[in-house]
Parts: sequence; C-alpha cells; structure tokens
Amino acid sequence: MTRHNVSPYATVMDDSQLTGRPIVLAGAGPYGGDLEIDEPLVTGGKKWTDVDRDICMHAEQFPTKKWWIAFSVALTGLGVLVFALITLFYSGMGILGVNHPVGWGSFIINFVFWIGIGHAGTLISAVLFLFRQQWRTGINRAAEAMTLFAVACAGIFPVIHLGRPWFAYWLVPYPNARGPLWVNFNSPLAWDIFAISTYGLVSLVFWYIGLLPDLATMRDRATHPWRKAIYNAMSFGWNGSSRAWRHYESAYMVLAALATPLVFSVHTIVSFDFATSVMPGWHTTIFPPYFVIGAIFSGFAMVITLMTFMRGYFGMKNYITLNHMESMAKILMLTGMLVGFAYSTEFFMAWYSGSEWEGFVFKNRAFGPYGWAYAIMFTCNAIIPQVFWFKSMRRNTLVLFIVSILVNVGMWFERYVIVVTSLHRDFLPSSWGMYALTAWDYAFLIGSFGLFFTLFLLFVRFLPVVAISEVKGVMDPKVARSIPPRASAAPQEA
Amino acid sequence: MSERLTTASFEAPAGVDNARSRAMVVGAIGLIATIAGAFGSSTQFFQSYLVAFVYWTGVALGCLGLLMVQHLSGGAWGLMIRRILEASAKTIPLMFVLFLPIAFAGLPALYEWARPDVVAGDAMLQRKAPYLNATGFIARGIGYFAIWSLMTYLLTKWSQDQDGRPGAPYDKRFGKVSGPGLVVFGLTCTFAAVDWVMSLAPHWFSTIFGFLFIGGAGLAALALVITTMAQLSKTSPMSGVFEQKHFHDLGKLMFAFVMLYAYFSFSQFLIIWSANLPEELPWYLTRLTGPWKVIALLLVFGHFVLPFSLLLSADVKQNTKTVVPIALLLMVMRAVDLYWQMAPQYHHGAFHFHWMDVTAFVGVGGLWVAAYLHFLKGRPLLPVNDPYLREALASHGSH
Repeated sequence: MTRHNVSPYATVMDDSQLTGRPIVLAGAGPYGGDLEIDEPLVTGGKKWTDVDRDICMHAEQFPTKKWWIAFSVALTGLGVLVFALITLFYSGMGILGVNHPVGWGSFIINFVFWIGIGHAGTLISAVLFLFRQQWRTGINRAAEAMTLFAVACAGIFPVIHLGRPWFAYWLVPYPNARGPLWVNFNSPLAWDIFAISTYGLVSLVFWYIGLLPDLATMRDRATHPWRKAIYNAMSFGWNGSSRAWRHYESAYMVLAALATPLVFSVHTIVSFDFATSVMPGWHTTIFPPYFVIGAIFSGFAMVITLMTFMRGYFGMKNYITLNHMESMAKILMLTGMLVGFAYSTEFFMAWYSGSEWEGFVFKNRAFGPYGWAYAIMFTCNAIIPQVFWFKSMRRNTLVLFIVSILVNVGMWFERYVIVVTSLHRDFLPSSWGMYALTAWDYAFLIGSFGLFFTLFLLFVRFLPVVAISEVKGVMDPKVARSIPPRASAAPQEA
Repeated sequence: MSERLTTASFEAPAGVDNARSRAMVVGAIGLIATIAGAFGSSTQFFQSYLVAFVYWTGVALGCLGLLMVQHLSGGAWGLMIRRILEASAKTIPLMFVLFLPIAFAGLPALYEWARPDVVAGDAMLQRKAPYLNATGFIARGIGYFAIWSLMTYLLTKWSQDQDGRPGAPYDKRFGKVSGPGLVVFGLTCTFAAVDWVMSLAPHWFSTIFGFLFIGGAGLAALALVITTMAQLSKTSPMSGVFEQKHFHDLGKLMFAFVMLYAYFSFSQFLIIWSANLPEELPWYLTRLTGPWKVIALLLVFGHFVLPFSLLLSADVKQNTKTVVPIALLLMVMRAVDLYWQMAPQYHHGAFHFHWMDVTAFVGVGGLWVAAYLHFLKGRPLLPVNDPYLREALASHGSH
C-alpha cells in the first residue's frame, strides 16, 4: 500500500487512479502512525457546478444516436409484448406451454423474476441509507427507477395469467354486489396483491420525493418556458429553503424506515405462494429468507448491468466509479454465497428429513430430466459469483458485466427449477408430465425486457439519472467549492 | 482527540474485577447446586444443562459472528465494541469444556436417537442413523469448536499484536479471515443448531432452523454488548468515549435483530401451520398446548411486541437507562425461547419445570460471565492502534 505525505484526495481524476483501498497518510494517525481515509466517491476533481451540468446534460440535449438505437431495439421488444398480449387475449391461454400437471409456467417464473429484480432499488435507497453507506448516492436514483419498472413488468404476469384479466379487480377485496363474495384471505395469492401494491406505491413515493430537489435543479437550468413550467410543476415548486430541506430530510428518513420492511415483505409473500402449499420442494421453511436473498442478488446483478451502460454510454464514470462497482460486486458475492447456502441446506434437509417425497424431489431436481436447468442455476448463482473473492475480478468491468448477466440467467432458471420440477412429478407417478416453453412463452419474456428497457431509456432521457443533491452532499467541500471560501461567505445576491 | 492515545489510557476499570468475582461466586453456587441435583436425577441434570449450554454458547457465537462482520463492514460502531466482542468470543474454548459432559455422558438422557431401544422400534430413526448417531454427534461437535476456537484465536491474537505496534498500518489479515470465516461460521452454526436443538425432536425438520439459531445468537450478543457498554460508560476511561450515538447505532442494530428474529420465527410457524403436515405440525402442537401456550404468547409479547414498540423511539435507544432494561429483557426472553424450543421434548410435551432449569442456567451463566469479564479485563477497552480509530472518534464529535 502506498503511503502519501500529501493527500491525493483532490487529484483523483478517473478510475485508473482509484485503488479500492483507503488513502494512507503518513504520520497523520492518532499515535503518530498512519491515518487512513476513504477514497473520494466522485472523481475527476469535479466542482458542485460541474455536477449539475454533467447529469442534467442528458435530459437537456437532443438524444444521441446511441440512445435512438437502444430505444428502437427496446421499442421493438415492447411491440413483441403488445403483439403477444393481443394474440393471448384473442386465442386464449392455449398458446402457452402450461399444461397438466405443470399449471404454473413461464408467467409465474417471469413474475417472480421481475419482482426479484425490483428488490435492489429499495435496498440501495432505504437499507444502505440507514446504514449510512455513502456510495449509494451514485447509483440509488437509477436503481430505484429500475425497481419501479421491474415491478411494472412483474405486475403484468399474474394479471394475464388469470385467464380473464378484465376481472382482475376481483382480486381486490371491496364490498361488492356479487353477494357476500370476498377474496380468499387465507391464500397467499391474495396477500400478494397487498404486498406488491404497497411496495410499488411506497417505492414510487420514495423515488419521487428523492427527485424533488433535482427536478428543481432542472427547472432552474431550463431555458424554454414550457420546459421550466413542467419541471416546476413536477418539483412541487421546490424553493430550496432550509425549511423545505428540513421537511424533505425527515420525510426521506421516515420513508426509508418504512420501505425497509417492504424489502423483506414482498418476496417473503411471494415465497409463501409456494411454501404454504404441501408440495415437496415448495413447502420448506427456508423459503422466505432464501427468496429475499435471491431477489437482492438478482436485483444487484441488474443494477451492475445497467450501471455498466450508464458508465459507458452516458459518461458517468466520475460519479459511478470502479469503487461503486466493486462494492456491488461484494454484495453480489455475498448474496450468491447465501443463495448457494440455501440450495445446500435444502438438499441436506431433504436427506436429513428421511422423507421419501422430499428426497425424491431433490434428486429429481438435480439429476432428473430438468437436471440441465438445475446445473445452469447452480453454476450461475452459487459458483460463478465466487470469482469476486479476487479484487482484480471485482474491478474488472468486463468480468462484472458478464457475471451480472449470467447471474440473472441463473436466477431466471432458479425460478424455472422451482416452478417446474416440483409440479412435473408429484406424488402420483401416473400424473407425471413434462413442460416446454412455446414460442409465445419466449415472446412474453422478450417482450417484458422490451417494456423494461423502454421505460428505463425514457427515464434517462427525461430525468436526472444520478441523485444530484445527494452526490453533492458526499463531495468534499474543499475540492468541490468553485468559489473561494472567503468570497462565498460574503452576501451573494444583490 | 488531540492527545495521543495509549493502551494504558483504556485499561478496564476496577469495577470489572469486582463484577468478575461476584459472577464467579454466583456461578459456583449455581453449579454446585446443579451438580448436587444431578445425584438426584442425572436425566434432569442434563436436560437443564443442555439449555444453559446452548444459550451461553450462542451468546459467545453471536459475538464471534459480529466480530467478523465488523471487520468486514468497517465503521465506528465496530471499533467501539471490538474488544467486548473479542472477550466474549474467547469464552468458546470454555464452552468446549462444558460440551464434554453432554457429549460423553448425556446423549442417551437427552436425545431419543441415542437410545438404542427407541431406535430399534422406529424405522425413521434407523433411516436417519447415518447422521443422528453418537459418534457423528461428538465428532461434529469437536469439529465445530475447533473451527470456532481457531477463528477466535487468530482474530484476537492479531488484535493484541496491534496493541504492541503503534502506528502500524491496517492489518489486512482481519478481512482475509473474516470473509471465509463467516461462510464457515454460517455452516457450522447451522449444523450445530441441527445437532444440539433440532434433533431433540428427531422426526421434525425445518430448513430455516440455522437462520433462527444464528439470529437468536446475534440478538443475545447485541444485548450483552449494550449492557456491557452501559456499565463501562459509568466510569473512566470509557465514560468519555461511549456516547449516545453509539448506543443509538447499536440500539438500531438490536432493533433490526428483534425484527429479523421475529421474521424468521413467524415464517417458520406460518409455513408449517398452513401446510398442516403430520411430520411437521406436532412440533408446534406440543408447544401450543397447556402452559407451553402461555410461554409461546409470552414470547410473542416479550421477544417481539414489547421490545419492538419501545425500540422504535430514538430516545429510548440512546438512553442507557431505557435501552439496558430492554437488552436485559431480550436476554431473558432468548433463554425462555430456547427453553420453549427444547424442554417440551424432554417429557413428551407435558409441562415440567424443575429448579435445576434455573440453577444450571445461573451456574453456567455465572461461569461464562466470569470468564468473559476476565478476558475483557485483559486488554485495553479500545483497539487504540487501529488506523481508523481516530476517524471513528472524530466522526462522532468527541473533539
């Protein structure tokens, strides 16, 4: 580790000068020894004024060619979804691969997959906020947006899986004219409605409250009167007074505290969809924490994927540095390990239980006809992220990108394994069967990605993609101040 | 913090010694009474003793886990309590000594699977014999303690080395052991929970049980840390160091563990209750009938509702006068919880309370606390040569 006599804090220009290790200042420590301080979260010697420009720029200029290309690809995907939906409504559920005995197919898989991805946003914004992890400031805005879009994608699937989606509102308990007809409150499927709508709503409010000061910044920078008026309305007339800030800070804190239990509740209830049944392979008490961890795992993988694009195509490398990527890689490794731990616990308990059914299901999972899916799942989730034990791998953006994609492949297959293998061979061998995806199943999967990326690209086009006010808060004033201290102390306005 | 920090400035106050002597006396009385009781009923002795053993081992393990977590996470809260965690973890070899009577004399009294006559008439136990057998139990137990002792030894030794090397840079070995260490810790604790607690009901199984055990251990450990900090903060040298903010941070962590434990516990209950399967449900049916049901409700209230409601307030978490009683309540509730998990199995579900349940707990506890305070006394109360300490103290405004 290099020891410095003069702090290089202010002169870190880009990723190549970041080490991911503390800066060691010779002889500045408490006992005449060294003092270690963390590396800056924003590189490039940025001033506070630079932050506004760097981040708002993407919403203020005509989109680049790269954006248009990406947007047309995403829009094509969305078109696939719309086409598939129309076909589904016209022809019915028969176009899908679901059959007897596998009555839950790719729709449930996609639903759990997207809900899982939606977890990292709230985790980053709420849990890391409460833990005072300052590196979250660079990525929280985009991660929260990702959450909302992922929840939107997830929400489609249970509704269209109903078969008659125009009756979807029957899922909501309300006094109705259909006699004393209520939803089945004993069913976790009814709890899902509460859990997911609460989660979506709180995430939206939390994200929007965080946006307010930044929307005001965009308003202040806007030159066109319409643009100014729109951003002004969106920022609720934010005036930046200390009173506004005080209310903002306490609201943000309260919402963070409220959102934290939601990180756990949503996927817990999704896991109850499976675990409260009596199916071997579904009914197991580890499911709630295991689903939550898996969700955080896949969510962080998706954040890494998106941040790679943000760094590459939007020039955000000074705000989303290699150190940010490394922190996420560590979380990915940890959660990957916990997921592997859960897989192993399930296997051990299936053996330990002495139960014939439990034992069969797990043998069938790993070595039966869907053994290939289990192999993909286990390799991608439990083994591959372990490359991040090595610092050089955590700081290699190509490796990060590839692993992040593989993790989400693995997590999709995890849900595939859970849904399909338990159903296709149950207690009665005469009712065994197989399940295969049809072209329409693939169309819905691809289409949901289309929807997700369309929404995300619109977000980067119109809103500040990094939390401007929060990033300013973690910059060292000694570096970021653009006006010399003495001058700034004097009255600014006439 | 303009003055230089030295190891001498953070020596434990004399009060620690006095407390240690008192704990020793209490522990000795408890143990003597329990051993005397063993002549009356050796079965009851082991049944009471196992609960006490699992509880106090859990406290030490919780501290070992937190010690590794704080080495990885960094942050001021970890530096402030590192020495407390180290002292607690160092009791693990003592718990190994206390494990030996269970391993070599107590198994038939405690576990159905260790009684050949029961196994002979139970096809399921025969099927499970490859895991549930005396040799395996003892070998695994020795393995767990060997691993935990090794991790404790390395982490505390390097921490001691740091005391002798002012101005040394950050020791990277802490992180290198703690990372893989936590993986091994999670696995060993899970298997220990299966062996020691879950196999009391040898037909029953629950995959979340390892999480439950680790969560409970972490909760008890945090309650211990907060109680210790509050005592230390009354006198020099720590009176100027432990501030409201530290109690607030640790109070939040304890609050999180209260919720986490309730979450694990409720998940297990709901999943088993709603599936209503004959191989799982009896575990809860036993624990939800007669006096056990009263205890179960007491746990819902005392282990979750009450501490949860109180700890919501920042003032309650910051003030030692309020946070310490909650921490003590949680330590007691953790014991009641373990008793509720373990004891119903001893008498086929019938409620049976014996005075040795208390004396064994106090006896093992007194001995454990004495050892803990002994180790706490042996080192300065802060790792003064840790390069992050100055930043940690400064960030909390103690200039």
